[in-house]
Amino acid sequence: MSLSIQYDSTFDGFLSVVFEVYRQRLNVGEIKPDRLDTQALDLFFQPFWVETNLDSARRLKRAIVNAASEEVLNLLEVAFRSETSGIEMNILSYLRKLFAGIDPNYGKNPTSDEMLPLFQTAQAVRREAGGMLGMVRFTKLEDGTYFSEIEPKYDILPLMISHFRGRFANERWAIYDSLRNYGMYFDGCGIMEISIPDVKSVTAGLPPDAITQMWKDFYRTIAIKERENPRLLRRCLPVRYWKHLPEREVGPASWQETGWINPSAGHVRGALTS
Amino acid sequence: MDVREKLNILADAAKYDVSCSSSGSNRSTPKGGLGNGCQAGICHTWASDGRCVSLLKVLLSNACKYDCAYCVNRRSNDIPRATFTPKEIIDLTLEFYRRNYIEGLFLSSAVIGTPDYTMELLVKVAKDLRTMHRFGGYIHIKSIPGASPRLLHEAGLYADRSSVNIEIPSDKSLQYLAPEKNHESIYRPMNYLAERKLEYNAGGNFSRYSPRFLPAGQSTQMIVGASGETDFQILTLSNGFYRQQQMKRVYFSGYIPINADKRLPVITTKPPLVREHRLYQADWLMRFYKFNYDEILDEQHPNLDLELDPKIGWALRHPEFFPIDLQTADYEMILRVPGIGVKSARLIVSGRRFGKIRLEQLKKMGVVLKRAKYFIYHPDTPASLRRLYPEMVRPLLVQQSTPEQLDLFATAPTLTLPPLTSPSLTSTPSN
Repeated sequence: MSLSIQYDSTFDGFLSVVFEVYRQRLNVGEIKPDRLDTQALDLFFQPFWVETNLDSARRLKRAIVNAASEEVLNLLEVAFRSETSGIEMNILSYLRKLFAGIDPNYGKNPTSDEMLPLFQTAQAVRREAGGMLGMVRFTKLEDGTYFSEIEPKYDILPLMISHFRGRFANERWAIYDSLRNYGMYFDGCGIMEISIPDVKSVTAGLPPDAITQMWKDFYRTIAIKERENPRLLRRCLPVRYWKHLPEREVGPASWQETGWINPSAGHVRGALTS
Repeated sequence: MDVREKLNILADAAKYDVSCSSSGSNRSTPKGGLGNGCQAGICHTWASDGRCVSLLKVLLSNACKYDCAYCVNRRSNDIPRATFTPKEIIDLTLEFYRRNYIEGLFLSSAVIGTPDYTMELLVKVAKDLRTMHRFGGYIHIKSIPGASPRLLHEAGLYADRSSVNIEIPSDKSLQYLAPEKNHESIYRPMNYLAERKLEYNAGGNFSRYSPRFLPAGQSTQMIVGASGETDFQILTLSNGFYRQQQMKRVYFSGYIPINADKRLPVITTKPPLVREHRLYQADWLMRFYKFNYDEILDEQHPNLDLELDPKIGWALRHPEFFPIDLQTADYEMILRVPGIGVKSARLIVSGRRFGKIRLEQLKKMGVVLKRAKYFIYHPDTPASLRRLYPEMVRPLLVQQSTPEQLDLFATAPTLTLPPLTSPSLTSTPSN
């Protein structure tokens, strides 16, 4: 019977799984991160827990760098951050081909059947991380700390930290991923991981910020009416990010403005009720 | 007048300037300071017309002494006027920057008093930001034509990018529309800055302590559709800017009629957005796809095809090069295939060393086969398709007007429902 392997959802944890798969010659059916927390009994797989072992993860990383390159290892980690279901099995099948050693150049080929989907997933993750650098919006708290809440699609917070650390090296700031419920806090010298049970309470009760108001004004002013293009806007700035952007707060008024409401449909519904 | 009111007036006055990029500078955070440059540039938000917003783009003042026909701030327009003090701009920039709203400042100005006086104010803002506030973020400063070389030089030391707008592509039209301006006065600051930048870069050997002069170079902008220039003239001009003045970008702005003036197109004209888009596509071909400006257009074809993008246009005029074999063609040639971009071309070149590139793989790579399929062949192409017939392919590529989805609740008169209280409805049950 093949195994349903669970691990602690970290990249090192996953590498430990791969290491154990090779060491114990396990028959893998699926690999599941423990964040999914599914207790359902599976008829076809036998559950199996692999404890994270930093030493075996390190050994495996070295092996990947030797067989392929540093960039490939980096790419695998970024693709892993996508948290797509089944990404573990994709990476495992890539590593199996890589370590089989049939083709010594396999590691360098970005278009192989196993690599291409990982390559594209990694591209999507990097793209979001890069885009999010601009879409973090800090709120100034009473003690002068700048706080921001984000809800990215992928787990990209660790990829963004070095940018903010360089840019706001002399400020105190925190960025909080409220989907995954963890954040990073920079106190002026080092990064700390934080976890806040109720994120909304951090910014609740703050007086309205005059600067934010001016930013909203600025955003409204620079729109050129003759050039309006809501489709292009939504392609560049997907609606799922609007929630945390003060200039694009989702509300009935802005729905109207961006053509969310189909005017003709609204008209008919109004006619029926009257 | 408070800062908020001034911001509304002066941001509104600056919005027709297209340039908003923050790329090209990798300035590191000053010791004890705030902010750095990001080589690739970062968009912070997008305006409702889909333009990226990355800089706080404002005018220092809109009280202009000139009277250019195309400009919203000309002195004969009756609009509210305002002028920022340098301190107000600096505070606004820093506060926006700390909240990560912007990547830096884009400061332009109408000419108040003399060009030198205006330029001095602009330079003061940049200088105070860099020295007093140790600001490392992006600064873009307009050079005012007619300002003294000393001030231009100082601006280059503090700013990341500078620009002078050429406004109208030909000198004759410019002097007609803007009597106080001519091309010569616009080229002078451009050339001065380009030469200084060359001097600073001449050593080649940089340390992080060596002074930088306009690390992100220069840019310029021209209005398209306000006067009668052809696309070929426009591309020739922008090619000159890239070659001679070493410009980083040339922007095009489709003319939006803001002033009623007998010298300009009538006020109801729609902005030529498609033409502007095609010009940008041509610009991209010159900058990233190794096309020459006279390959994209020539004397016989002076205007870009509005129905097809310029890359397809070139490919259809040169059937002798196509279809190409992806397995053996040069990287430069693969780049010229419509539908294949820089990323896909690189992927093809690095992937083909390990095996044949087949249709299936092209699909997986994300190549836009809708266009590319007529211009390439691969092991799966039947022999009959290994020639390109432009006259047959062209109609297939011209975008058909997209079929419209009929609306279930359309308000067309034939579809309106009778009111619920109509006698016919209420009377039926009783029968």
